[in-house]
Amino acid sequence: MANTNMGKTITAKAQNKKAFGLKLKIFKDKKTNFYVGLGITAFFLLITIVGYFWTPYNPNAMDVDAKYSAMSFTHLFGCDNFGRDIFSRVVSGLGTTFFVGLGTVLIGGLVGIIIGAICGYFGGLVDEIGMRIMDALYAFPSLLLALVFVSLLGSGKYQVIIALGIAFIPSFSRIVRAEYMRCRDLDYVKSARLFGASHFRVIFVHILPNITPVLVSSAIIGFNNAVLAEAGLSFLGIGVQPPDASLGEMLSSAQSFLFSTPWYALCPGIVMIIMILGVSLMAEGVE
Amino acid sequence: MGDNETNILLKVEDLNIVFHDHKRPETAVEDVDFELAQGEILGIVGESGSGKSMTAHAIAGLLHRSEITKSGKILFEGRELLGCKRSELRTLQGNDIGVVFQEPMTALNPVKKIGWQVGEALRIHTKMSQDEIRAKVLEMLASVELDNPEEVYEKYPHELSGGQRQRVCIAAAMICSPKLLIADEPTTALDVTIQAQIIELLRHINRTAGTSILFISHDLSLVRQLCERVIVMRKGLVVEEGVCEAVFDNPKEEYTKQLVAAIPKVDFINKK
Ligand SMILES: Nc1ncnc2c1ncn2[C@@H]1O[C@H](COP(=O)(O)OP(=O)(O)O)[C@@H](O)[C@H]1O
Ligand SMILES: [Mg+2]
Repeated sequence: MANTNMGKTITAKAQNKKAFGLKLKIFKDKKTNFYVGLGITAFFLLITIVGYFWTPYNPNAMDVDAKYSAMSFTHLFGCDNFGRDIFSRVVSGLGTTFFVGLGTVLIGGLVGIIIGAICGYFGGLVDEIGMRIMDALYAFPSLLLALVFVSLLGSGKYQVIIALGIAFIPSFSRIVRAEYMRCRDLDYVKSARLFGASHFRVIFVHILPNITPVLVSSAIIGFNNAVLAEAGLSFLGIGVQPPDASLGEMLSSAQSFLFSTPWYALCPGIVMIIMILGVSLMAEGVE
Repeated sequence: MGDNETNILLKVEDLNIVFHDHKRPETAVEDVDFELAQGEILGIVGESGSGKSMTAHAIAGLLHRSEITKSGKILFEGRELLGCKRSELRTLQGNDIGVVFQEPMTALNPVKKIGWQVGEALRIHTKMSQDEIRAKVLEMLASVELDNPEEVYEKYPHELSGGQRQRVCIAAAMICSPKLLIADEPTTALDVTIQAQIIELLRHINRTAGTSILFISHDLSLVRQLCERVIVMRKGLVVEEGVCEAVFDNPKEEYTKQLVAAIPKVDFINKK
């Protein structure tokens, strides 16, 4: 028992990386990584917030005369096949993307923390049952799982959040579980029990604050994956529904005009890539 | 013995602790019997691996795992602890029984302030207000002879020295004025000078608060300085028991003789 626990502890970090694939390291210095990432993310967040109140054009307004117009000062990113301003749509799409990413991390994170904490802390049969359920859930690719949920719940912003949130529970719970297995026999946890603290109090008041670094970095990487997964779902036409803009939905609509109006696909694509890059750099710095 | 039967605080009868997490069951503690009177300091000595910590953990209620079987009785003020429910045990832990560990480095939560940690047992066992808890914690920090309690209150464990941390641990264990303090090698990780101070502090607590102390150590000279009675353990068994002076000056068992022979002579000179 003691030995297997030890083995699992050592692989916890590796597991963290495996569970959430994407990881980037551009600058040697962790701090630089973090601050550059933070800068990029903050920039996009700012644009999103401004975009919530004001965009150059109504993102859904169609201007027949401006159809397929190229990038210019009047239409920064050009216009799409309906004559909608792509820049305005990218900005409002960023909002949707952030919303979906945060919502997913919130649902997946909260449920994952609860399940992982209980499994890791108590061990034994509880752990066995909980983890087998998580394994079963994890065995499905998250996109496929989301597909199943979307087909059950219908498509749209909120359905995507619930679907991705559920799909993300196993990765979070595994990481949290590994941390709790590491912590549960430490002296300060024993001390807490010896003060007469309840299991609930030990789990959430004494241990949880100790694993926040791991939680933060998983949440950031999870956010990235949620953004990509949302784009994937929207690209497949089962995510955010038009006329709501999202980056993935725009990429999907742009497919047919890849050669005639390449900026339609390129602009949201590049914005998404830079945003993901920023968040990944931040995650790298946090570790 | 017969006349002070009523002020027996802790009575351990035929305690057996067996581990089942390997192929062969492993007996860590075998037929251990002892009593601890109110206000008494009892020492447990023995080499490492002799089952001292396991005995202490059983009394403190830490061995609630399925791989461990326990038999016998642990009576605390007449209440059976070994078989009782965890919820019942929790009302005693921190309130009537306090525990201090060997490693002050790891016994404190690294991300919580000292003041918060010392006040934890109060938060669990009493309905005191934030301010009352703060006042009590500061008082406790002062009584374990920490300088600048106000400053220490706001610090994190890594900002304190080993000796200071052990004082903090003692303060946390003593905050609800428990009747029994279990100190499992509380000085082993500390320098010799700090060791002496901690021993002095434990003696002071015993005298002023009347707390019974179960003092566990592999160091006979410390036990001799602090305890009235001692039990000697080896391989999970109690090999000798009695008044400190008698046991050390006139050891009956071969094992105790070896232990006594291993004490550096300086301590004997100091003692006299
Ligand atoms: N997890 C475990 N599995 C099996 N045996 C154990 C375990 N933990 C402790 N023991 C046994 O308990 C015995 C007593 O240990 P302990 O009480 O910690 O000794 P000490 O007197 O040094 O405090 C050890 O010799 C060891 O064989
Ligand atoms: Mg020990």
